Amino acid sequence: MSVIAPNFRLSSFIRSILDNLFWIIVLVTLAGIPAVQIVLFYIEMPVIDGELLTPFLALTWLADPSRVLPIVKALMATDFFRIAVFPGFGLAALLAAGTIFVERKMLAKLQLRVGPFYCGKVEGILQLAGDGLKLISKEIIIPAKADKPIFWLAPVAFVGTAAAFVSLIPVAPGGWVVADVELGVLAVFAVIGFFPIITVLSAWSANSKFPFIGGIRALHQMISFEIPLILSLLGVVMLAGTLNLTGIVESQGSFPWIVFLPVGAVVFFICILAELERIPFDLPEAESEIVAGWLTEFSGMMYGLVQLGTYLKLYAFAAIFTVMFLAGWHGPMIVPPFPEEIITDGIVLGPVTATIPGLPLFDQAMLNGTIWFVLKTVAVIFFILLPRGVFPRIRIDMLLSLGWYKLIGLSFINIFIALGLLYAGVLGPGGVI
Amino acid sequence: MSAQLPPGLQLEKTDERIMTLNVGPQHPGSGHMRIIVQIDGDYIVACDPDPGYVHRGEEKMAEYRNYITNIPHLERPVIHDSCNILYPYVLGVEDLLGIETPERAKYVRVIASELNRCVYTLYWLAIYGIFLGHSTMFMWPTGDRELFIDLLEKMTGARVTHAYMVPGGVRNDLPANFEDVCLRQVDYFEKRIAEYADVFYDNPILISRTENTGVLSRTDAIRLGVTGSVLRASGIDYDIRKREPYDVYDSLDFETNVLRAGDAYARSKIPWLDMMESCRIIRDALSKMPKSGSVRVKLKPNPKGGMESVYRRVESGRGALGCHIVSRKKPEPYRVKLSVGSFRNLIALPYLLKGERLGNMPSVYWSLNYWPVEADR
Amino acid sequence: MEQSQPPEATPPEISGHAALMIQRFPDGTVLSEDTARPQVLVPKERILEAAAYARELGYDHAESVTGVDYPDQNQIEVVYHLGSYTDDTLNGTILALATRAPREDTPKPGRDSTRLPSLREVFYSVEFHEREIFEMLGVYFEGHPDNRRLLLPEDWADLPPLRKDFAIKGR
Repeated sequence: MSVIAPNFRLSSFIRSILDNLFWIIVLVTLAGIPAVQIVLFYIEMPVIDGELLTPFLALTWLADPSRVLPIVKALMATDFFRIAVFPGFGLAALLAAGTIFVERKMLAKLQLRVGPFYCGKVEGILQLAGDGLKLISKEIIIPAKADKPIFWLAPVAFVGTAAAFVSLIPVAPGGWVVADVELGVLAVFAVIGFFPIITVLSAWSANSKFPFIGGIRALHQMISFEIPLILSLLGVVMLAGTLNLTGIVESQGSFPWIVFLPVGAVVFFICILAELERIPFDLPEAESEIVAGWLTEFSGMMYGLVQLGTYLKLYAFAAIFTVMFLAGWHGPMIVPPFPEEIITDGIVLGPVTATIPGLPLFDQAMLNGTIWFVLKTVAVIFFILLPRGVFPRIRIDMLLSLGWYKLIGLSFINIFIALGLLYAGVLGPGGVI
Repeated sequence: MSAQLPPGLQLEKTDERIMTLNVGPQHPGSGHMRIIVQIDGDYIVACDPDPGYVHRGEEKMAEYRNYITNIPHLERPVIHDSCNILYPYVLGVEDLLGIETPERAKYVRVIASELNRCVYTLYWLAIYGIFLGHSTMFMWPTGDRELFIDLLEKMTGARVTHAYMVPGGVRNDLPANFEDVCLRQVDYFEKRIAEYADVFYDNPILISRTENTGVLSRTDAIRLGVTGSVLRASGIDYDIRKREPYDVYDSLDFETNVLRAGDAYARSKIPWLDMMESCRIIRDALSKMPKSGSVRVKLKPNPKGGMESVYRRVESGRGALGCHIVSRKKPEPYRVKLSVGSFRNLIALPYLLKGERLGNMPSVYWSLNYWPVEADR
Repeated sequence: MEQSQPPEATPPEISGHAALMIQRFPDGTVLSEDTARPQVLVPKERILEAAAYARELGYDHAESVTGVDYPDQNQIEVVYHLGSYTDDTLNGTILALATRAPREDTPKPGRDSTRLPSLREVFYSVEFHEREIFEMLGVYFEGHPDNRRLLLPEDWADLPPLRKDFAIKGR
């Protein structure tokens, strides 16, 4: 007779459970509770029942569940939460992960194959996690003659710059933005301006031929497309009358600017493709010509970081498109209002009445804005992904002539349209609409 | 002694503007070969192809095996086109041994070789697609290839290395329902490759990228002695199936495709047009084929040739494929030389790449219909 | 290959291009009179003239160049298979123009007497073929601009592999 565990002994089983319990208790007391205390210490704690929650009192949420929500709310009010979770890195990383999955599945369907399939049982949903695990476990190889500090710095700086870009994007009404810069559009351009520098630094520091050519190509491409990128947004800035991104979204309450400035939107979209090095503009990573371009010498998690940065950047550009042309978070109200009686009366479950202080966690406008913003951004990301299935790569001379002659010309036409609308008194500050 | 040093290691004093790139053999855009290109900015000033990374000495091996046992290893240079690469060898051996092939076997051979031409061309096209960064064009032909691979598996028993041609016919007869299945697959396939035009050949980016790049004029094509699709894209109507018909090609109804431009676009379009002609040939051959009869002549064990040499050639997926067999009254051939289209087209590569942009390198290189494994033999 | 038979005493009886070649170069040998595959052996001193004459006859490119080693005759034969793209009357005709170089038992490729004039000036398309013959059989082509290795590895230090005395292991 076969037994599942032939060497099973009840005593050692119980001992292993007790062992685990012991270590959990030791770690929680020695490390967990102090860590929670330290975090709580830096959060401004709310007042509940006329009593200021101190970090010590806050731990009483273990005994009193009604104190959980105020603490969570207090946590949400911190800058740390904004940077790490909601309008900042967490949301962006989540969308980026979704983007990678959708890209692979959509491309696969387009090419009559199945794409990721086995990892994670359901349509290969865990493929990305598996890939990440693989990248982490890989050895990082650095070329012998590389300029090591810069070579190490480049992927980190790339992710950092992409994250800085993400931080400028207003996601929902009510100040849901990490950094609400007064000159937001200029800040966006300033951040974008860092990418070619990082690219060229990493390409140069690798001290290898293919990264060098790739870096030079990236430099040419990014710089020549930054000019139409900036010019195509000028129309929006003129009509909105502000450089603040939140202000630009608020100016589109009745119409998104894409209705009046379709030329600018098209130019901006093409520039996004070029800035992101997506097909058909993936010359800096042109596989059949220069191996992997400026990414050639990256291995292991350094490559993973650059990929993370690339997809963060993709999300950020799509979000900027949404903010600039698609009216950001504006959209019909689809979220039902939070039921008032729960706040006033609490939840009545037969004989028990639970009053939960701190509700609602999110207000209605913020939820609705977030949903619309995410929907529009995902649509833009979808259109950014689509050309990969149908276009071959273009050549650098075609790319440069497109950037310098056609797109700059078109973005000037866009500016004239905007100026015409402005001076005719149709739009803009003090306009008819 | 700089001439004795390997080409990539020559330490010549060069202009500081010139950068030498080793494209291959571990480069995603080279195949099993190395192209040493020297670039000045974005322009290629010199190019030196260095094949031989998959040289397997097929010709030497052929001297040690008898005429029949040579068959399975001589197809190895191009396993995607194995019927075509065996074809001239088999025809030559038939000439040497004086074997008359049955009529049905000739048709079966033609069908097998045309199917194989499609299989090869689809694979080539897939790689051309990915060389240009068009991943859909990589996946579609590789998927559609399975149709014909399945068909050939039914026919020969193996998916790619068929070893189907033997002196005196083919190895085994067609399966019972082959004709229906084949016609159905060919019908579907014709519809399918028409769609390639929508996604690939009519793509404006592709056209603007490959038109007027790597132009090979008519006179240069003759001078360099290129062959196959490269020759026909330069405006020379030379197809061995028409010019020197072997087996039953003279009784079949088909056209040769000729374009005049001579650029990478024309060179990449000819094989695609040829696939449509292949479908036509397969249909025609299926209708004209004798419905029954022997497909193989029984040979003496260990046949010996006379004191002579033969040179036979066929049109393969990559152009003319010649086989020179020298026989000296032994069961083994004294010398077998395969003159393959890839090797003959390679000479055009340094000529065409000089002065091109680096971005044109993959499109010009692969449009030469070059198969590194075959060229190395 | 029996090339030792003397050429026909009355050349005009042979038809086709083999006859024309042998009229022009009487010290050569006709190996085959077949109209589709004429084969002529020409001594190496006159191979350049013979190639030029073949060009006049309409052959414009070399399809294949084969090197064959004959250790019993102490010679290495190089066969040029010439074809024509321009002349429609030569559709199925391939002229095999052969020549022979002396063979040495201990070859030093490039530095011994196994030499032939290169046909690259006449037929440009033989360039890579002649390079292959050089590495595979050790025949040095005088006048070839680029007598380098092509297929073999750079550190190959054995006999040229297609010579008959280079034996495959185990065979």
